[in-house]
Amino acid sequence: MAIAAAAAVLVLAADTAAAPAAGKGAVCPAVWKAGWVKLAQKIDAPVYCPTWMPNPLDAKIGGQWTDIYSIGKDRSYLVSFLAHGDLGSGDVHVNFRGYPGRTAIPKCATVAIEGNRVVRGTVNCFADPRGTLKVGSILATVYTVNQDADQWHVLYAWHHAGSLYTVSEHVIPPYTYAQVTRNLKKLMHSLVLIEPAQ
Amino acid sequence: MKLTRRQLVAGAAGAALGAAGIYELADKLSESPARTAAVPLGPRPPEQHVLDGVPVVVENGVEVVVPPRHHLVVTATLKPGTDLAKAQPELEHALRELESRYEQTPAGLGITLAWGLPYFDRYVSAAAASHLPFDRRAQKPALLPTRSFPSDPHGTLLEENDVALLIRSDRLEHIEDARKTLLDDLAVFEPRSLRRGFVGGDLPRKLAVAAGVPGADLIPPDSELFLGFTSTQKAGLGPRRIANFETLGLVDLRGGYFRGGTHMHLSHIFEDLEAWYLNFAFQERVDTAFRPGLKVAENAQTVPQGPKQVASAQEVERDFKRAGRFGHSASIQTSSRLLQDTTGEDGTVYVKGTAIPQRADFNTLDNPFAWSADPERDGMVAGAAAGVHFVVFNPSSDDFHRNRLAMDGVLPDGTTMPLQAGARGQGFNSVLRTTHRQNFLVPPRRHRSFPLAEV
Repeated sequence: MAIAAAAAVLVLAADTAAAPAAGKGAVCPAVWKAGWVKLAQKIDAPVYCPTWMPNPLDAKIGGQWTDIYSIGKDRSYLVSFLAHGDLGSGDVHVNFRGYPGRTAIPKCATVAIEGNRVVRGTVNCFADPRGTLKVGSILATVYTVNQDADQWHVLYAWHHAGSLYTVSEHVIPPYTYAQVTRNLKKLMHSLVLIEPAQ
Repeated sequence: MKLTRRQLVAGAAGAALGAAGIYELADKLSESPARTAAVPLGPRPPEQHVLDGVPVVVENGVEVVVPPRHHLVVTATLKPGTDLAKAQPELEHALRELESRYEQTPAGLGITLAWGLPYFDRYVSAAAASHLPFDRRAQKPALLPTRSFPSDPHGTLLEENDVALLIRSDRLEHIEDARKTLLDDLAVFEPRSLRRGFVGGDLPRKLAVAAGVPGADLIPPDSELFLGFTSTQKAGLGPRRIANFETLGLVDLRGGYFRGGTHMHLSHIFEDLEAWYLNFAFQERVDTAFRPGLKVAENAQTVPQGPKQVASAQEVERDFKRAGRFGHSASIQTSSRLLQDTTGEDGTVYVKGTAIPQRADFNTLDNPFAWSADPERDGMVAGAAAGVHFVVFNPSSDDFHRNRLAMDGVLPDGTTMPLQAGARGQGFNSVLRTTHRQNFLVPPRRHRSFPLAEV
């Protein structure tokens, strides 16, 4: 009963939390900002700091919900926040990616074990576009079939200053596809651009 | 037809009290299919399982059959102490009453009574021993005990109902009339389950969204079925009489009692829409639904599956070696299509590649049934779930079994494609979960009421 109640509270909180608009005057929350500024400086490119996250996550890099913080040799990054619902409330998993200096959708390796042989290939990391979302200067494409850390996620991808950026959330209880889509729209509206020089 | 949110909510609340529940919303959310011409009343076909006046439309250059919109399957046992000699004329009278009210068309009413092995074993075993058809190819009875298949999950229930009633119509009130006439007014059947559903138009997405099914928003808006592809294309369905016991000569009719009859398989399968639409990109959905590498227009739903598109066993094996996967349609076609031109018993010529099974499946939001006499055994859960009540007519149990095994990569030539149950390379199978199965025999119309009881 307690578990069910916890899950219900989580969903309710996610649906009713106020989403700060990322319009004029919106700023990256002070406790989150340092990590995002450091990331921008490290890759020498702008990054997007969210000002809202689905409950219970925050976007403090290095905080309790950080799952992956990875920067590649090509300066591409993956910042992942994950809450395991160990008490039965379900997982909440949000990924942020950036690919400085390129806008093409990256390729992901596929490996399938079929019988006693290994079948290798590549596919687009983000596929099955399903419409777009315009938020301020961002025109994001919604992708529903994604790979690697974004597998089973809904993902929004957009270009800025010659770079590709994405944000995605896992479709897994307690969040259905419809709820994840609502979360991501709210999250997209909350994004604040952080320049490396800041 | 658009509804306001208030109308939608009011409709949903009302529907919850009605017999058909969420399915009553269908007629508020979407127009009934246009039926071009009334079919004049005339002699009904000797088969129970064929419908007259089923229109065909052209989509993406492909002829597509427009099946009845609403479906109900009732499974039942006979009421204890039923006197077959008395019950047989009563049931037949009730069926004829319904026939006097409705044509056997989608706009009217289609009723098919299918009888399970428990009925033949328990009530008419002596007559069954000498009259039930025999499958010459399999060297087994045409009606076999229900079996499970490699990709079935542990726990799939192999049912033992005496009878299944398949009731189809564009009009829910016609279905309700038939249900009341055959179940409420007649005291012969003890219902075990009610299974409801729908096909076509733009209903799958609209009803799934209205019911709050996970992944409903991912269904293409005008998809015929939840999984996004059209299954009722004319060339992919068996022609009118091909699934009859006698047509292809597969079955020895013995005394001929069941001439004009066929075999029916009924199963319920959950469909994981989020797994399907969030893990398989469109091309991979095509690869796995049809055959690897098949090129079709982006987001096409109706893909030609005529005799010229049929895959051979060799092609399926080659695809598997190259791509590590095989297509659902392609693998089944190795057993479900004619390997050569064939002349039916009535002189009809069926060309090589013609489909044998006649599908009558329909999508459902039942979880897994609309009603069960044994909710615990049947795994009844509150709330809606995407699924399919799979109904198909074949000339014998073995013929269905061969098709279903091919779907799991066990081809009729003995080739087995080694994929684990539910492996991604099996595509469809990885998002399907079968909960119930049963084989039935469909007698011809003249013997539909308690077959063999009079012998």
